[in-house]
Amino acid sequence: MQLNPSEISDLIKKKIENFDAPLEARTEGTVVSVTDGIVRVHGLSEAMQGEMLEFPGGSYGMALNLERDSVGVVMLGAYQHISEGDTVKCTGRILEVPVGEALLGRVVDALGNPIDGKGPIDTALRSPIEKIAPGVIARQSVDQPVQIGLKAIDSMIPVGRGQRELIIGDRQTGKTAIAIDAIINQKGTGIKCIYVAIGQKRSSIANVVRKLEEHGAMEHTIIVVASASESAALQFIAPYTGCSMGEYFRDKGEDALIIYDDLTKQAWAYRQISLLLRRPPGREAYPGDVFYIHSRLLERASRINAAEVEKLTGGKVKGKTGSLTALPIIETQGGDVSAFVPTNVISITDGQIFLETGLFNSGIRPAVNAGLSVSRVGGAAQTKAVKKLGGGIRLDLAQFRELAAFAQFASDLDESTRKQIERGQRVTELMKQNQYAPMSVAEMSVSLYAANAGFLDTLEVKKVRDFEAALLSFMKAEEAALMAKINEKGDYNDEIQKGIHGAIERFVKTSSW
Amino acid sequence: MTELATLARPYAEAAFKSAKQAANTGEWSDSLKFLAAAMQAPELIAIVDNPRVSRVRTSELLLDISQDHVIDAAKNLVKLLVENDKLKLLSAISTMYEQLKADDEGYVNVDLVSAYTLTKSEQGKYVTMLEKLLNKKVNANVTVDKSLIGGIVAKAGDKVIDGSISGQLHQLAKRL
Repeated sequence: MQLNPSEISDLIKKKIENFDAPLEARTEGTVVSVTDGIVRVHGLSEAMQGEMLEFPGGSYGMALNLERDSVGVVMLGAYQHISEGDTVKCTGRILEVPVGEALLGRVVDALGNPIDGKGPIDTALRSPIEKIAPGVIARQSVDQPVQIGLKAIDSMIPVGRGQRELIIGDRQTGKTAIAIDAIINQKGTGIKCIYVAIGQKRSSIANVVRKLEEHGAMEHTIIVVASASESAALQFIAPYTGCSMGEYFRDKGEDALIIYDDLTKQAWAYRQISLLLRRPPGREAYPGDVFYIHSRLLERASRINAAEVEKLTGGKVKGKTGSLTALPIIETQGGDVSAFVPTNVISITDGQIFLETGLFNSGIRPAVNAGLSVSRVGGAAQTKAVKKLGGGIRLDLAQFRELAAFAQFASDLDESTRKQIERGQRVTELMKQNQYAPMSVAEMSVSLYAANAGFLDTLEVKKVRDFEAALLSFMKAEEAALMAKINEKGDYNDEIQKGIHGAIERFVKTSSW
Repeated sequence: MTELATLARPYAEAAFKSAKQAANTGEWSDSLKFLAAAMQAPELIAIVDNPRVSRVRTSELLLDISQDHVIDAAKNLVKLLVENDKLKLLSAISTMYEQLKADDEGYVNVDLVSAYTLTKSEQGKYVTMLEKLLNKKVNANVTVDKSLIGGIVAKAGDKVIDGSISGQLHQLAKRL
């Protein structure tokens, strides 16, 4: 939409006429030094912690170090034009970002400015990036599922609405892939997604945006970008920006999912800022409060009860709980989960999804190590169907892991051991899944049922996935009603079980895989 | 890097406290101003910086220069500063002392910048208005700056009250 020239000047004329400039009382300081994005300002005795400070040329900075006679400021954006002696003004506002539905489908930077070239964002609501997490009384326990769409995760390490589940692994093990599949699978569920990219290559981020657009997932997603070439300050605040945007939906009684990709880079950025601010370094040169930056971020991902939602919306929304689910991503070096930042975040989150390079390289993708991965919310966040059928899967895999060492002696083992090994191999094969192909609850239930009921035991291991694919297209074609019924509420009763069993038997007879 | 102000503060506060006790704040103020001015002289700076000149010699030199211009208590301060290697703080100490004195006596130094020269009555009006705003007696220091286009800007320490036209244009630009 284009404004014609007269309209523009009319708008401006109106703004000028309505312009009321009261006497401006402000606090000013002078720049003492500028180094590497950190500016020392003399004066500014009334600066608040985290306040936005205005520099000449329209740049803004955030006051982080409040000292007796000076303030240490991190610049948000370009700082090359700032020189010693420049005047700095307090704005009186703690750093805040735009929030609201208008952000859905947009790609923004860490300050909420749009960078996708689709015009300005039409929202008047702003929210500070630093907010206190909901109190104990305001919360409600997690019992609704977030369907990630990956069999390995939804069956054994289920994620609930309001939970924090860490995705941890070495580089190139598929952490972002899990996150993207989760976002794609939220289409039509009413869960709004936020993907915060911290310190990543812009080409990777462009790929992610493209993939989400291809699968129609952008309309319920906000993407917050602080790429590798942006200043450490922006990389540091980007997760908080995304969290504020997610809290908007949570406080309205809706559900949101936020993915921080990845928090390791945010810790690096914070370390850089802290060292430049001359804060004393601790373990691995991280500042003393590196735990706090993650804990206060992740505590804001929670489920709040209906009373709290009612209070926050001023009585407009009644009887609905709100939630913000967080999937933080941490990259380990050499599989070392006992390093400083990984152990910090593991202790904060409600479980972790552990990805291993060895599994990835041997073709098991998603490369989830089911033994070490855990979800502390567990069955409370699973649909009835997947809960019933997933238990068998977990057991099979656990027993298989115990006997895995004996797999080489296949012919020398007793019958029951051999059967367990074979079942384990088939279930492992079944847990593999293609990227960008998340499964619905019904599809997952059918797959898992087939494994539990022994339909896979007669197949060759390498035919398992073809069998599954053919079975699912058969179910889609012939049993659409049954699938829809399962998808509706994730129910599982005798009737549905008989329905699935019968359908699979019919499919097996066709022998079409 | 600690600010000069932070380093100077303990000295300034000590000087002011002893001045209040001895009830000679005015004389202290003059002494400190003299010393601060003296420290600006390049020759003196060179001597202070020179590691080959002993501390004793530096302090003797300073006290020689001070003579009657500086009261005895202030001379002791100089000796202390020489001992602690903090002579360079003298101008910061003097500024801070003035600030403490002004706070104590209930008046504040305000830099009043106007676009055009003010008549005595206009100045008086502004001073009264500022005194009401800041709740202290105002010691106005008036200067003229054409770039403000119109109106005045009043600076008191960190606080700035901007009633100038250039300030309003700036706000308008931001709004648009």
